Amino acid sequence: MTGASVTSARAGRLDGGRRERPGPGRLARDSLLIAGRYLRILRGNPARLIYPLLQPVLILVLFVSVMENLASSVAGGAYRELLIPGIMIQNVVLTAPVTGLAIVRDADTGLADRFRSLPMSRGAVLIGRSLSDTVVFFTQALVMIGVAYLLGFHVRTGLAGIAGLVVVAVGFGTALGVTCAWLALLIGDVETAERALFFPFIPLAFVSSAYAPVGRLAGWLQPVARVNPVSSAVGVVRGLAEGGSLAPAVIHLAAWTLVLAVVPGVLAVRRWQSSP
Amino acid sequence: MTAPAGEPAIEASGVVKSFGSVQALRGVDLTVRTGMLAALLGPNGAGKTTLVRILATLLRQDSGSVRVLGHDVATHPYAVRSVIGLTGQYAGLDEALRGRDNLILIGRLAGLGRQEASQRAIELAERFGLAEAAGRAVRTYSGGMRRRLDLAASLMNRPALLILDEPSTGLDPGSRVELWAALRELRDAGATMLLTTQYLEEADRFADAVHVLDHGVIIATGTASELKTRTGTQVVDVLLAGQDAAAAKAALTARLAPADLHVDEASRRLAIVARDGLGTLLAAARVLSDSRIEVADIALRQPSLDEAFLALTSGQQPSGGPSSGGPPSGGGPAGTRSPGPQRSGARR
Repeated sequence: MTGASVTSARAGRLDGGRRERPGPGRLARDSLLIAGRYLRILRGNPARLIYPLLQPVLILVLFVSVMENLASSVAGGAYRELLIPGIMIQNVVLTAPVTGLAIVRDADTGLADRFRSLPMSRGAVLIGRSLSDTVVFFTQALVMIGVAYLLGFHVRTGLAGIAGLVVVAVGFGTALGVTCAWLALLIGDVETAERALFFPFIPLAFVSSAYAPVGRLAGWLQPVARVNPVSSAVGVVRGLAEGGSLAPAVIHLAAWTLVLAVVPGVLAVRRWQSSP
Repeated sequence: MTAPAGEPAIEASGVVKSFGSVQALRGVDLTVRTGMLAALLGPNGAGKTTLVRILATLLRQDSGSVRVLGHDVATHPYAVRSVIGLTGQYAGLDEALRGRDNLILIGRLAGLGRQEASQRAIELAERFGLAEAAGRAVRTYSGGMRRRLDLAASLMNRPALLILDEPSTGLDPGSRVELWAALRELRDAGATMLLTTQYLEEADRFADAVHVLDHGVIIATGTASELKTRTGTQVVDVLLAGQDAAAAKAALTARLAPADLHVDEASRRLAIVARDGLGTLLAAARVLSDSRIEVADIALRQPSLDEAFLALTSGQQPSGGPSSGGPPSGGGPAGTRSPGPQRSGARR
């Protein structure tokens, strides 16, 4: 090892030291590197993937077993047809805070300071983490579809429908994860975030069409349930399963997903970079 | 190292930073030339970390200008980031990843290509004695190994300026020696470094220039020995052969101002502020000899950096204005400080 290679007045190779803000190419590259970091950790700790996969299995089986008879006797018909899409989306909603917790846990470590002092793209940590979480949402979606199938829930639109369902789960989950990242960074403290982050999601999951048609909810809940993105996500899943018309719900959901990913995303990145 | 045409590595002037009502920095002026190892010395809460975070673009100053290798930290943070390496107070490493993967990840995020990053990871792991450990997760590392890996990570992109925030804090003596060896090697290789420390010894041993930061201002700048001389006069150190410290004190007090004399009875040591240099030594020797007090050792010495540091950082209240020209020659107030337990520092 010679001294000359220790340091140099030259900067990192890509830029000659004068480059200003990294462009989109650099953002993609850095995000993939960060995603790779999280996936490597996930691979080293398979238990972290097992629990997110067990969770939907338990919830699906328990909810359906406990509610089925009661609900069907009151509501008539096959309640599970209605309930299973709701539980699928509820599960996505309850998994999203994990992204936020991971981000806030990383935010005041020495590693975060290291990242902030590197000439990397500043959105990369959030995007990278979200990318790695899509792997979790993806496998979760496949497991849910499988278990739901065993419970008698069939996607009548075939493979295209299944693919659509996966896209909804992954896309909506990731957007909510980004929102959680922003909320968690706003809270700033890991322990507080751990306790608080689930709260907005409880009404979000329940004041929706996940467990009952909007028309059967209490009157004052109905307008809220109608604009709730969870209702549109559940609506899309039901539409895919039954083969009905999707259009209004899909547009509503796509708009929500985009807004939830972009607006809190930009705010979260800004917050991340300036965390003290 | 090659500097962009005489550009200083760090050039800060009038840097102010407040957190709420707390003023962490009150107008810091600091210049570090390339090729220097500069130490930023100061007690806890002096503002060292705040200054480092501004230099490393992690914080934005409220006012004042900061240029790092010619780039303004406020307007060109990415340019600054691509020429610095930061070893913060807490290891900037992923505990769950292997040592080598940490180096590669950090190198690639700093802009290195895949090949170059793995090549350099191997080189640096070897250089810092981590070749064997590089395949293990960082969480299995000792504190010293972690520090060295952290240092290696900061060097992945060949920074022109290395910033180290209290690199030796929390290390056991053995690991500290290892770290120092690594830093010394870097210095010998011509790296420009700024390190913050609260260990005077560290600044004394390594630094080409010491900047003393206290209450958010630089109160003195110079080499360690300049600081020692500037703080004041030399000290006559006396080690008594017998137990008659009280007698020695009585004899000397007759000739000296009480504030100029400190007696540590337990260790049979006396320290006398040598206002007349050698004259004080001779006078003290004569008094002791006349009083038939046996002396094991008597010597004229420079004040230690500890003493210089205490003299610099205690007496004065920051006025808000920068004063890099050294402390006022009046020094600290006489007799208001109780000297440290071991160092019987008689300061003015």
